[in-house]
Amino acid sequence: MKTIHLVIDDKPIIAPEGTNIFQASLDNGIYIPGLCYHPKLSQFGGCRLCMVEVTERRTGHRFACAHPVSEGMIVKVNTPKVIQYRKSVMEFLLAHHPLDCPTCDKAGECGLQDVTHELNLFPGRYKTVRMDAPMIRDNPLLELNRNRCILCGRCVKACKEIEGVGAIDFQNRGIKTVIGTAFDRPLECSFCGGCTAVCPTGAWQDRTLGFKGRPWEFNKTPTICPYCAVGCTVVLNTKMESVRRITSDDYLGINEGNLCVKGRFGHEFIHSPERIKTPLIRKNGELCPTSWDEALEYVAKRFQQIINEHGGTAIGGIGSEKCTNEDNYLFQKFCRAVLGTNNIDNMANMKSPALNGLIYESVINGMMLASMKEIEHANTLFFIGADMTEAHPVAGGMARKAIRLNNANLIIANERGVQFNSITKNDIRLKYALGSQIILINALIKVIIGEKLVDLKKVERSTNNFDKLRSLFNAFNVEEASKITGVTREAIRNAALLLTKPGNCCIVCGKDIEESPLGADTIRALMNLCALLPAYNGDAGSGKVSLFFSRSHNNSQGVNDMGVVPGFFPGYVNINETSNKEKVEKSWGVKFPDAIFKKDHENVIDLALNSKLKALYIMGENLIVNYPNGKKIKEACQKIDFIVVQDTFLTETAQLAEVVLPAATFAEKEGTFTNMGMTVQSLNKAIKPVGDAKPDWQIICSLAQKMGSHYSYVSPKDILTEIENISPMYAGINYDRLKRKEFHWASSVYNKNKSTKYTFNIVKPKSSEIKENKDFPFVLLTGASLNHQGTFSRHSKSLVSVASECFVEINKKDAQVLQINNGDKVTIESAQNKLTLKAKVTGKLSERTVFVSEDYEWVPVNILRDRVHTPVKIYKETV
Amino acid sequence: MKMNEQSTNKEAVDLSKVEKVLEKYKDVRGAVIPILQKTQAEYGFLPEPVIDYIAQSLNMSAEEIIGVTSFYAQFHLKPRGHHIIKVCCGTACHVKNAKALSSKVREKLKININETTEDKLFTFEEVSCVGACGIAPVVMIDEDVHGEISPDKLNDVLDDYKKLGV
Ligand code: SF4
Ligand code: SF4
Ligand code: SF4
Ligand code: FES
Ligand code: FES
Repeated sequence: MKTIHLVIDDKPIIAPEGTNIFQASLDNGIYIPGLCYHPKLSQFGGCRLCMVEVTERRTGHRFACAHPVSEGMIVKVNTPKVIQYRKSVMEFLLAHHPLDCPTCDKAGECGLQDVTHELNLFPGRYKTVRMDAPMIRDNPLLELNRNRCILCGRCVKACKEIEGVGAIDFQNRGIKTVIGTAFDRPLECSFCGGCTAVCPTGAWQDRTLGFKGRPWEFNKTPTICPYCAVGCTVVLNTKMESVRRITSDDYLGINEGNLCVKGRFGHEFIHSPERIKTPLIRKNGELCPTSWDEALEYVAKRFQQIINEHGGTAIGGIGSEKCTNEDNYLFQKFCRAVLGTNNIDNMANMKSPALNGLIYESVINGMMLASMKEIEHANTLFFIGADMTEAHPVAGGMARKAIRLNNANLIIANERGVQFNSITKNDIRLKYALGSQIILINALIKVIIGEKLVDLKKVERSTNNFDKLRSLFNAFNVEEASKITGVTREAIRNAALLLTKPGNCCIVCGKDIEESPLGADTIRALMNLCALLPAYNGDAGSGKVSLFFSRSHNNSQGVNDMGVVPGFFPGYVNINETSNKEKVEKSWGVKFPDAIFKKDHENVIDLALNSKLKALYIMGENLIVNYPNGKKIKEACQKIDFIVVQDTFLTETAQLAEVVLPAATFAEKEGTFTNMGMTVQSLNKAIKPVGDAKPDWQIICSLAQKMGSHYSYVSPKDILTEIENISPMYAGINYDRLKRKEFHWASSVYNKNKSTKYTFNIVKPKSSEIKENKDFPFVLLTGASLNHQGTFSRHSKSLVSVASECFVEINKKDAQVLQINNGDKVTIESAQNKLTLKAKVTGKLSERTVFVSEDYEWVPVNILRDRVHTPVKIYKETV
Repeated sequence: MKMNEQSTNKEAVDLSKVEKVLEKYKDVRGAVIPILQKTQAEYGFLPEPVIDYIAQSLNMSAEEIIGVTSFYAQFHLKPRGHHIIKVCCGTACHVKNAKALSSKVREKLKININETTEDKLFTFEEVSCVGACGIAPVVMIDEDVHGEISPDKLNDVLDDYKKLGV
């Protein structure tokens, strides 16, 4: 990119061509007042405050945000004339402003206030007419006070450009212009709070704050969001050991200050009265408060008894997708080294057991080298089986940025229609028949090979097995594939054309693929597709391929990285190789009994079901609700004599426990989370643990102590150092450095294994057949929800107030036949169980499918399920 | 913005007319204004369900459409009367007491600016200079210009229209 030399306020500056003066100044620490320009939004030029003196050939006055830098330009930010101009602009802005700062939550962090102060402004010369439009409070999270609005347009742009929603816009014109919704209907949007974050005045406010503190009183602690796997940085605003609100910071982490509704408003669970504040122990059938000492003593005693009588392998352990890497590392170490069992697992691995291996392969193959931020640099985006808007909202915003700034193309393939709003010109939606995803991917491959959309010679040179793949595809018929998948040939071809365009290609593989019965094969087919793309084969100037695998929770990736799985020690170190075992033994100073590692590990829940487990130690996981087979998990738990649950709330699972240990939330501890882009980021403790709660790693330490093993960790830092030593994957991670900069393990692993050539997988194009079922003619699909995710959101009253109802979504045609209308009560019944929910009629689903989110924890949809595509029947409840 | 697909139609509106308009423009990008004009010509104004429908079809939010319609004076979100009374409030007319004319309309027809009489006969608007300052004050009723008009004369003119009816 060409660079430009200019001088701003006597400071020589180099800026990329096309930058505006405002941004160039900002980048160089020179302040220009301006209330409408925002680096992450498109330029507007509405507030008129950023006037500066510019000398190019002549000297004149320009708006800094609207004027690009040019070679040799001289800019003066604060000449007397400029200041005079700015003052009069401000006088106009203030003439209508209510100046009700004492009753405004924004006071102290208000752009308008700041500029007024800097310019030494007096109230102004104009006779003022204060507007007194009523405060608009039509939703539980945000309020709009139009009197305070200066019509800078930032909120409108944030809503449209980043969130893709467009829930608000300018209305009317001239003096009557206001910000609002169409027909003044109540705000109905994704409630990302982006409008509040960018608003330079007190017009938009976070209602959850509600005068619970002044901005300058808050301690602001940046940390990582406890919900989804994007890993946004949130800033906890605390006062007197309590979290009062969450704000964002444009310059921290990977999310540029963008958050979703959960990240920004879902913090009330931290101080929920329902938190477990003391250890609980079952006495006469009731869970009763007890001391840490008694609880741990009892757990240690029972564990020891079971070990003595049945061996350690009679104890199972379930790690947590929500706890930190350090918690999880210590959990598996405790289970393996102290309890002597390898019967450990985590929910993500139980749902898609092949995924860990495939992800690791993709890293080694160089397909997964990018961090999530790379999505912003994509030229082509391909989401397959992924519902970005509901599951990874802020990553959706990154995609929209790529679309806005790089004109990125978009392909969305899914078995159900998903909502994703953007302004892209090339937006291809491939809605494929249930279970036909491999055929769809292979059809894309066939078109690419058949039409030679890429340099096949090059592919052949840089990969193994290409010939075999090619001959396999000779017989592949796209027409046939089009019939099976229900996607037109034209759409398949167009998608193939977009995918092979030069530039960066970002592919997100979603949960619908990962958890499907053909998941592993589908991912192999997807890897084949990646390996064909010019971007993968290093064509000059062609960018790169970046594959991402959806993970559900904040640390679903980390819990697997930490080896809370039966097959791997931390860092995907194969457990069955003797040398690995020895290395770990040496490092931990233990000797594993031979009996604990078996070649084919049975699923922990199956073991329980087969009465091979006596005890279950569960950390931060509500198995009863989240396990995708409700009947099985219930039966399994009934067969266990002794269940210990370590969690923040008395979940359905904790209610079955003998002992419940109160754990600290993310706000109350240090540690690290790994997001779905393999980026490890560190938490910062914002408040003391609530009640007697303790961070999970500390609980494990104390328990180990009681069982005679001395863990001398003082902080998560010590644990991370051990992780670094034991797992080559983390070599180079450094706790102190993490506080400043995140660590991306994928690149570090790849750099050590570089020379590997990709070998094409030979995947037969199968389709997982969905058998017609007369009694249960519908198929139940499940998925993520924007508003909820598990235990935490359930106890955040703001989130519950925006989304209090979990609907069953039904296709329009089916609804018509069954005479179901929006809001009707509908029962969904499977062979296992039934559930009654309100209906939402939609055009997004295919016929004969219904959709229920699995993230409303109080709606246990998994009680219906016994497989990924569970057959169900539905009927309207008559009142 | 309606996040769900079903809009809150209060009264049933025949959407087939707007469907036809949209069909005509389905391959044209950035045709919001002509679409709105043609649609308004069909319905006489832009009913709420129609706006929602257009928004959905163009993959825009209703807010963005309203942003356009409320900016331009040519678009109307409420039903309009058979006759449009435009009282000129430009400088020349103002000087010649246009205010009295507006008051006359208000008191005679019992409607405010931008409102329509119950019988849907008249809609009352105030406009700035209609370009006939020489004969100020001016009231336009539909395309007819009534110059040098007094409140009393306006009263008679309105009566004439009333007699004619719809
Ligand atoms: S909360 Fe987000 S989606 Fe809702 S109006 Fe604000 S920016 Fe738009
Ligand atoms: S509400 Fe705030 S962000 Fe939106 S236009 Fe008004 S001042 Fe700007
Ligand atoms: S839930 Fe996910 S997208 Fe939302 S703020 Fe948290 S990390 Fe970001
Ligand atoms: S910042 Fe430039 S006009 Fe507002
Ligand atoms: S001011 Fe009324 S016609 Fe010009």
